Amino acid sequence: MIGAEYLLIIALVWTIIIGLAWGLSKYLKKVYENEKTFLDWILNPVESFIYRIIGIDRNKEMDWKEYFLALFSFSIMTAVISFLVLFFQGFLPLNPMKFPDLSWSLALNTAMSISSNTNLQHYGGGSSLSYLSQMVGIQFLQFTSAATGLAVAVAIFRGFSGKKKDGAKLGNFYVDLVKSITRVLIPLSLISAVILIAFGIPQSLSGYSIVQTLSGAAQIIKVGPVASLVSIMQLGTNGGGYFSANSAYPLQNPSPLTNYLELGMMMLLPTSVIFLFGRMLGKKGEGRSIVLASYGLYAIDLAIALVPVFSLGAGMETRFGGFSPVFWTVTTTAFTTGSVNTSLAAMNPIVILSAFMGMIIQATPGGIGVGAMYMLMYVIITVFIVGLMAGKTPEYLGAKINAKDVKLAVLGFLSHPIIILIPTALAYATGAVHALGFGNGPVGFTQVFYEFTSSAANNGSDFLGTEANTVFFNVSTGIVMWAGRFIPILIMLAIAGRMQDRKRSAEIALRTDNLVFPVVLIASIFILAVLTFFPFLSIGPILMHLGGLKNAL
Amino acid sequence: MKVGKMISGTMRLALVLAIICGLAFPAAITGIGQALFPYQANGELAQVNNTTVGSYLIGQSTNNSHYLFNVRNDSASGVDPDITVASALAQAQVIHNSTGISMAYLAGLIHNNTHYSMFFFGTAYVDSLYLNIQIIDHFHNTVSVYGKIYNETGK
Repeated sequence: MIGAEYLLIIALVWTIIIGLAWGLSKYLKKVYENEKTFLDWILNPVESFIYRIIGIDRNKEMDWKEYFLALFSFSIMTAVISFLVLFFQGFLPLNPMKFPDLSWSLALNTAMSISSNTNLQHYGGGSSLSYLSQMVGIQFLQFTSAATGLAVAVAIFRGFSGKKKDGAKLGNFYVDLVKSITRVLIPLSLISAVILIAFGIPQSLSGYSIVQTLSGAAQIIKVGPVASLVSIMQLGTNGGGYFSANSAYPLQNPSPLTNYLELGMMMLLPTSVIFLFGRMLGKKGEGRSIVLASYGLYAIDLAIALVPVFSLGAGMETRFGGFSPVFWTVTTTAFTTGSVNTSLAAMNPIVILSAFMGMIIQATPGGIGVGAMYMLMYVIITVFIVGLMAGKTPEYLGAKINAKDVKLAVLGFLSHPIIILIPTALAYATGAVHALGFGNGPVGFTQVFYEFTSSAANNGSDFLGTEANTVFFNVSTGIVMWAGRFIPILIMLAIAGRMQDRKRSAEIALRTDNLVFPVVLIASIFILAVLTFFPFLSIGPILMHLGGLKNAL
Repeated sequence: MKVGKMISGTMRLALVLAIICGLAFPAAITGIGQALFPYQANGELAQVNNTTVGSYLIGQSTNNSHYLFNVRNDSASGVDPDITVASALAQAQVIHNSTGISMAYLAGLIHNNTHYSMFFFGTAYVDSLYLNIQIIDHFHNTVSVYGKIYNETGK
């Protein structure tokens, strides 16, 4: 049985983060509803300058199709920039270590991975990326993909909150994106990065240094612009670390203190965005009940992962002991971030089962912006089910939910298993799995199934790492990551667009802001998501557990 | 909608943001970090005899395991500098037997530099490189093997 002191740490982290997220949501509402904030004096001119350069009308309201098209074309542009920087890094400046170009399939995979907020890493960051690649090829997209998640969330919230008197639609993607970067992500990342440096994370552009150790051997000290990248990769639930070992590498996560700072950073914005939902509706209770449901699911994930006894062992870092790797692994999948502070292979199969649940549900509370989006998808399906059982017309927030809304939501939900299971089967059928040296047992299946689940959930943690740098895995996971990102966004924007003009009745037939609704929501998500994947989980981590099998380190 | 205009707009937006987020932001953080916390920003470099011999954050395996604390080889990062206090105390006994440095000194050194994985509880650990450098600095005049390392680093 887990000691009370560990439960106290979990409770402390949750209390601090939920408190900060609640406070931050007040500021987020001001940002997205154009109210005055303390940063206006400097940011208004900066933003005006950006809008002038790009030549867009910032007052133009977009419907859901326009919003998606702007978002999608912008994401393509960022991926193109990333691809070019990675593919030509050997010719480009800021490469003191003289790393060569990435192959086309690796550059493609990486560009699609970072632009979709996944950060699956088939490259070895510290051993193959130049400073320019880390900064422009990776970190720039960590900002934009996180900002895209925020923009999607506020656009959907506007749709759900109903018709505005001034004829406003879902907002303007460019404005939401720019403000997410200038007013939310850059200020928070700046503060976080300076704190991380103070506690030991390097930030330098002077090249790796080679030293002679006490034994006379040569050793490379891989310093670079690490703190600036780690701050946004955690705050933006990106998760793609500077180094291959990610936040297990001491220069990215030097102490228990930085470990818990980084852990809290990945929880902050996804939680805050759910509170923002309640604030934008003008019904804080609606946000609160969704926070309760998502943290309830997160608690279940943790409870499962903490069943096996944890202890420091091979594949873990001494400074984090046995508990923090489990807490982090659950959290990084619950918030679909994907950074790790341990080798996943060191984790008990039951911890991996819990990690799968986070990536299957994607709303526990999920990634920045999109976690709240998935929750609203589940809400629509849930009110439909509840409506069927109670014999009432399903409705949410006073608006009727019709058959087409439910069909769209179910389509969004079903896209997830489809884009995971088809490529997993293909990986076996084409021999790509066997090319990695795996047989047909549960260990190999768990790792390959995890690879595609992580890609589809835009999580990015994985077992395979640079081993999966093959054309098959680079291209297949690249497609899965984009499908997993943009199909649900398209569907949920469409639902939000449909909801916006719908008549609202003042009489609420089904209360969704009480304590009962989150419990119903959790139950329906469990039945939907976990049962859909149960056969595959049972021949993966569950069979590993029953057979007493471990991942080879 | 004018598709051409939208594409050129998103392209310009992406380029402007690439400069702000990809170049200006990390450059500004580098400036702040180097000005305020140069030791941390440069990787907490460790020195012996005024020569850099590594980083306190990066472990070193040693071929002098009778004289120096050695790292574990099965960590996630492969460069974990930290070892558990139990491992450090076991290694201290070997160092004591080879060098004659008192167990009281070694145990005191370990005790004074112990950290915990959960701040106040959890796994007790020490930084092996930090201990080694303390020993070399302290005993380079009296224990020949430490004197040799101390002098060689000065080259």
